Amino acid sequence: MAIEILVPRLGWTMEEGVFIRWLKQDGDPVVQGDLLFELEGDKAMTEVESMDAGVLRIPPDSPEPGTTVLVGALLAYIVAPGEAAPFEQKALAASKSFSRESVASVESVVTAPVTQPAAPSTSTPTISPRARRVADELSVDWTKIKGSGRTGRIVEADVRAAAEAIAAANVKQPIPEPVVQIAPQPALVSTPQSAATRAPLSATRRVIAERMSAGVHIAAPVTLNSEVDATELVRLREQLKNDKRSTAIPSYTDLLAKIVACAMSDHPALNARFEGNEIVTERAIHIGIAVDTERGLLVPVVRDAGTKTLLQIAGESAGLITRTREGKVGADDLRGSTFTITNLGMYDIDAFTPIINLPECAVLGMGRITPKQVVTLKPGTIDEVERVAVRRMMTLSLTFDHRLVDGGPAARFLQRVKQLVEQPYLWLVS
Amino acid sequence: MRELTYTAAAREALAEQMAIDPTIFVVGEGIGPRGGNFMTTLGLHEKYGSMRLRDTPIAERGFIGLCTGAAMTGSRPVVDFMFLDFILDAMGELINQVAKIQYMSDGRLKMPIVLRGSIGVGGSAATHHSGNYYSIFAHIPGFKVVIPSTPYDAKGLFKTALRGNDPVMFLEHKLLLNMKGPVPEEDYEIPFGQARIARAGSKGCRATVVALASMVRKTLDACDVLLKDGIDIEVIDPRTVSPLDTDTILESLHRTGRLLIVDETFAPCGIGAEIAAQAVDRALDDLDAPVKRLNGAFAPTPYSPPLEAAMIPNAATIEAAIRDLLAE
Repeated sequence: MAIEILVPRLGWTMEEGVFIRWLKQDGDPVVQGDLLFELEGDKAMTEVESMDAGVLRIPPDSPEPGTTVLVGALLAYIVAPGEAAPFEQKALAASKSFSRESVASVESVVTAPVTQPAAPSTSTPTISPRARRVADELSVDWTKIKGSGRTGRIVEADVRAAAEAIAAANVKQPIPEPVVQIAPQPALVSTPQSAATRAPLSATRRVIAERMSAGVHIAAPVTLNSEVDATELVRLREQLKNDKRSTAIPSYTDLLAKIVACAMSDHPALNARFEGNEIVTERAIHIGIAVDTERGLLVPVVRDAGTKTLLQIAGESAGLITRTREGKVGADDLRGSTFTITNLGMYDIDAFTPIINLPECAVLGMGRITPKQVVTLKPGTIDEVERVAVRRMMTLSLTFDHRLVDGGPAARFLQRVKQLVEQPYLWLVS
Repeated sequence: MRELTYTAAAREALAEQMAIDPTIFVVGEGIGPRGGNFMTTLGLHEKYGSMRLRDTPIAERGFIGLCTGAAMTGSRPVVDFMFLDFILDAMGELINQVAKIQYMSDGRLKMPIVLRGSIGVGGSAATHHSGNYYSIFAHIPGFKVVIPSTPYDAKGLFKTALRGNDPVMFLEHKLLLNMKGPVPEEDYEIPFGQARIARAGSKGCRATVVALASMVRKTLDACDVLLKDGIDIEVIDPRTVSPLDTDTILESLHRTGRLLIVDETFAPCGIGAEIAAQAVDRALDDLDAPVKRLNGAFAPTPYSPPLEAAMIPNAATIEAAIRDLLAE
């Protein structure tokens, strides 16, 4: 096996030397102690002797006499008699040589300058890292706080006091819509006993956060509430339930989907959306139905509700909702709605302010259907009771984007929905 | 529970383990019939004889070399330096051989040697007998560096030292040697690298103090004074500085937000600097104030009793340092 002849280190600080000349020639036999070549180090010229016996083989690309060589550079080989030198086997020759580049690259890694952060501006108050962390956790704007630390530094106690002051002030005022923090919090390096639990934002949660936040902060939402008499609607549903030939029993959400689609044909402004500087009004009515799932809020879409019968809508939405709850719904099923209905009546919610699912124009919230006493006055009187009846009442909450439609048209739309709820025959024949 | 002095507790650990393990022998000046300058081997010569309690001439480098060879060949030497300052004469053997031989032999040779001696400022021992040195040894890979602050810890940590295969610096502060405290009669070990919370702060506690060796007791005294003003402090005794239980310190810092290290010895390149660097590195967002250190003066230790007392922290200066930290 070939033995490499390398440029030796002649002194502790030597990194390179000058190769003077060979004292043996290519192909010469050598034994231990034979002088091989002359090398000039930091201080003196040295004759370097062979540590091994064999045949000296000098590759064609070996340094020329008089050239500077790095410590560790390959000069030649000693091989057994008859053995081919590595450079004759081509592939190996140059790979072992110790290049200046490789030395330089190691140094550059070690001494790579660390980028200095910009010096802190003197105009902003200083804050301890812990106080900054707590301010982030409590959503306190610390730039407004006066620090009590020795150098005016804001410390944790200052932030907590500010947070308490804000909380106290909020008790008296309506609490503003919380701003959903979408950016993930930086993970703490050591929080072994943190009181709070932390979980990364799921993709679904992130989308919900963005959409809900946009519905409040980008749209100009206004909510209209209207109490409607749903007695006839309840009666209609009971009759459909009792009819053995019904292929599907529509839910109240399905009934409202049909009614909304029906009302929309007279009020197409509620089916509009922004697209850049244009208002686009779809002819087709695609109703999104808000579904509460383990992943969070999802809105599958019943397409072309305007041209479908009630039983078609009922059959389609039942399948959609089941697939949504089971997590089997496709992305296309969740896309393209032009109006959304959200029903919290089953949780005994009377009325609420739904958030618009942008770019839609409006969203209809359904409250619970509950029996109430309803007074009917004698015609032409102010307060003479004709009869008091128990009716099944429900509150509808319509949130619309005031950028797209005004209060009047939106109110007329809701009024039409109310009418169709109270008099189902009107849309049954349509 | 019965009470023992710090020295008696460590001596009990040594005596018990010598009875179990015949490879243990003790080497040092005056540790034979005299029983050790600090009574570290009192009564052991009568029990185990001159073969296992070897008095030596004043030749530290020589007997460290002998013990290094003995440890390499299967014995368990305990070298008693009396004052740890005398170990300095053997630094070449210690750092180049004792600390490195397991590495250099690829683990084939073990180095079960315990190096013990008194450390610290006190009793006008003057500058040749007052060094602490644990920062220096903690800087060298290969040593375990143990600084017990109670009799209980002295016994448990000494047992661990006598049962391991690594060189252990067992450093006993001279002002703690006569301190009494509860020590169980049964056998127990205290693992290295496990700090002790010497005083647990309540929920509203706003500062963590890491105290080393004799500073633990002084810090606890300072905390008693502060508690009268309603100031509650958590105190941590690392017990071993190599390995250093940074996790316990940072966990406490996470709760309190402020950190002071009280260390009798010099500040530069010391344990306090190491703890502060780790706190900034790993727990920056837990810090509500700069990490503070309280150290002895960076100077040779004077003989003069008033000067000696003035150069190291005491309960009053520790109390002031804690108040200063809380005012940051």
